[in-house]
Amino acid sequence: MSSRATADPALRCLLQLLGDVRPVSSLTLSDWDKTIRLARQARLLGVLASRLRARPDSLANVPAPVCGHLLSATAYSGHRVQMLRMELAALDAALPAEIPVVVLKGAAYVVQNLEMARGRLPNDVDLMVGRDQLQSAESALLAAGWAAELVDDYADRYYREWSHELPPMRFPGHPMEVDLHHTITPVTGRLRPDTVLLFADLQPVTAQRFLVLHPLDQILHAAVHLFQDSELLDNLRDLVDIDGLIRTHLHTAGDWQALLERAARHGLERPLWYALHYCREWLATAVPAALPLAAPPAVARRLMDWLFPRSSLPRIPDRRPGVSRRIAAQLGVARYQWLRMPPGLLLRHFAHKGRQALRWRPAGRHQPE
Amino acid sequence: MIAAPPRIRDLPPALLLQRFSTASVELDYGAAVVRVGSDLKTFVDHLQHVYGAFSLAEAPFADFHTEVRGGKGLRAYLRPQSRFLIDGIQPFDPFPGNQALPHFEWGVNWCFAQRFNQYVLLHAGSLALADRAVILAAPPGAGKSTLTAAMMLRGFRLLSDEFGVLCPRTGQLWPMLKPLALKNRSIDVIRDYADQAVLGPVYKGTRKGDVAHLAPGEESFDCRHRPARPRLVIFPGFRTGAMLSTRRLPGEEAFARLAFNSFNYGLLGQVSFDAVADVIESCPAFALEYSKLDEAIDAIRELLAESADNASET
Repeated sequence: MSSRATADPALRCLLQLLGDVRPVSSLTLSDWDKTIRLARQARLLGVLASRLRARPDSLANVPAPVCGHLLSATAYSGHRVQMLRMELAALDAALPAEIPVVVLKGAAYVVQNLEMARGRLPNDVDLMVGRDQLQSAESALLAAGWAAELVDDYADRYYREWSHELPPMRFPGHPMEVDLHHTITPVTGRLRPDTVLLFADLQPVTAQRFLVLHPLDQILHAAVHLFQDSELLDNLRDLVDIDGLIRTHLHTAGDWQALLERAARHGLERPLWYALHYCREWLATAVPAALPLAAPPAVARRLMDWLFPRSSLPRIPDRRPGVSRRIAAQLGVARYQWLRMPPGLLLRHFAHKGRQALRWRPAGRHQPE
Repeated sequence: MIAAPPRIRDLPPALLLQRFSTASVELDYGAAVVRVGSDLKTFVDHLQHVYGAFSLAEAPFADFHTEVRGGKGLRAYLRPQSRFLIDGIQPFDPFPGNQALPHFEWGVNWCFAQRFNQYVLLHAGSLALADRAVILAAPPGAGKSTLTAAMMLRGFRLLSDEFGVLCPRTGQLWPMLKPLALKNRSIDVIRDYADQAVLGPVYKGTRKGDVAHLAPGEESFDCRHRPARPRLVIFPGFRTGAMLSTRRLPGEEAFARLAFNSFNYGLLGQVSFDAVADVIESCPAFALEYSKLDEAIDAIRELLAESADNASET
């Protein structure tokens, strides 16, 4: 952690606790003041809380006012997880039993009851079905009362043709949005994992209707989502997920070998390299030193080393972000667009967005950027 | 022995404004500490008045980090505005500049109700005699704040006029001691009720009508870290000309009226069910109809004494 971007003591403190909560006793109340704020900013306060609560010896060293925030975050996360379970139960009833349905990311961690996901704040429900089942799954949800969030014709087409998911749906009055996917990365993106392999190794979960990805695919999905299909903004928690999955699933040299082989079959070595690099640097993940995984070119690494800390790490929000953080945020968006669409399509997309911007209309939600 | 820190009303106004604008100030409400920075003179002036009994806490840890700032650009000069920020985010539209204090008060209530789920947050006034607490729960408009204000002015220790901050682990009620927000007619009622009432400016035509704040007394502030045990639940209802009447409520009715009038009952699930059930089990609950404040307060005093006697027998 030598980079300037991680030099802030409160941030170092947060990263250290996310790697290992035991050094908690060395924190003063004024350290906590900033650390709690950063953790909340990163939507990781509940995760931190549940890890501390799992270690009564560490929790005993946390001052009372701080414990209050940990309890509150635990309660809030418990509530969101309950909402998620209720949404899954409703989806289970609505989707025909003959369609195999996969849950991804947060919902998958909850369904598998993974220790690492305790205290997480689920945002929405991500489902995946085979492309040939997409239409019947969508019809079933629409018939049962879910409705697509308002999107215009262009956005609808964008989702259906160039994305890997349908426009987000919601059952009126339900707190959680449902994203129905047919694969894990945009179909127009630079990296295209092997969908056949993905679907061939789906795993059942005991006493659950929903399937999950193979554990190694869960890691690769989290990595490709973070480094390929996101704007890199405020997503430290995605890295924390990857760290958690690694600690949960990889124990032996053989496990690591299998991960690398799987990454090669999917063609996802690059995002995996970045994920492992930052997990080791920031969260002290035990990544073996000499993994035979090709590093990205030096220029790309330097760019990412500049960009990623500035856009993904939380900050104390009292002041406007500095110039370099604002530039990093813009670059993150540009990079995301570039990786998501081939140049021709990207030009077309920007031309459409430009025309749209010239016309006056009320601000719409859920416009793809 | 360390001298007690000076109360806010005793500080030179210029010094106070300087503290708010160059650093920030921590306000200790008991259950929560709020850090606030501001460069708005009107805000600091009004705050000095209704937070007079408070002292400036030197707290290394704050629960909420807020700011009260003026409008941006032209709005700093032309029909000035005030903005409330928490963690750099502005959750509400700006208010007129001279309404910065009510804006801040609502802002803090909102933050507290959103984020303080380590407590069951009943929507109720709460006061105590010694450490025996009364919970006053009623829907808005039933005169809850007026009665709460009057009780404080007649010697009850104010815990909060808006929240029953119930700790589900200990069963105790915590102070969340803020200036009491009085609305419309109750402003004059309380002004006329007691000579010692310290009221801030009247803010005309806010979205809740006219609003003025009653300053909490010194005793309430000095006891802000002392929780109290719930002993009595009152559902007050003001009706012009009504004779005083109290009616004991069956547990299930009292439970429903208390629980479903809470900010985070649903969010906390079983935790809040158990906590509210414990309150109803240990406290008698009454519907109280009144038209004269003094009669209502005497009745509450008596019910509280009876409840305390019964509690000490068991």
